[in-house]
Amino acid sequence: MATGDARVLLPASVTNGDVIYVRAIIEHPMDTGFFRTAEGQPIPAFFINDVTVMYGDQQIAHFEWTSGVSRDPSVTFPLKATREAPVTVTWKDNKGGVYHQTVDVRFS
Amino acid sequence: MLGRGPDDDEMTEDVKRVLKARFGDRTLTKAHVQFDIPENAPDGRFVPVFLETDLPQTPDHCVKAFHVIVDHNPDIYVAGFWGVPSIDTRIKMRRTSYVRAIAEMNTGELYVSAKKVFVTLNGCG
Repeated sequence: MATGDARVLLPASVTNGDVIYVRAIIEHPMDTGFFRTAEGQPIPAFFINDVTVMYGDQQIAHFEWTSGVSRDPSVTFPLKATREAPVTVTWKDNKGGVYHQTVDVRFS
Repeated sequence: MLGRGPDDDEMTEDVKRVLKARFGDRTLTKAHVQFDIPENAPDGRFVPVFLETDLPQTPDHCVKAFHVIVDHNPDIYVAGFWGVPSIDTRIKMRRTSYVRAIAEMNTGELYVSAKKVFVTLNGCG
């Protein structure tokens, strides 16, 4: 896997009105800028600092991160499934990288 | 003892400064934050944290944001989570330290809970 590979996971079956747990994972080094390579070269800070979660056309959550969040960050949060709509998570890092992942909420 | 942080959860000056910059002079009440974090974290690179509150969530009175503060990290303010009633994630810790979870309500109250976590492997560099 490479930096920016992301997944958004929903439960297998969702019914209208359920509170579901959404898990969002992204592959990212989250370098703090304090470590060095084996050759002694500093590794520059490279981390995700802004995450937004959209449900349909509505922004439901916004996370502000620093390099203090672990490598390959994963978050799990509850969401009340009130309509069939896509859940889009957008991650932005401090070097201008933007990563998206979308998954559709479908009622079974 | 070597490698141990302070034994009470009195805030350091740095923590007070970060809180003042973010929340001004609003008071923090020790209550209502349910905060799961292991007491011993062998690997400071991955410390699981789970945050929620025991207050009922209604549109008039709900959690606006959770904030995570680690007293002895290079960057004291670790993360903020807006718009979620609970959050489960992993953070890094440099050394044994108090971890503070703050729940900011949409009515402006601030609730806080602090737990000491023993860290053996530095996760911050």
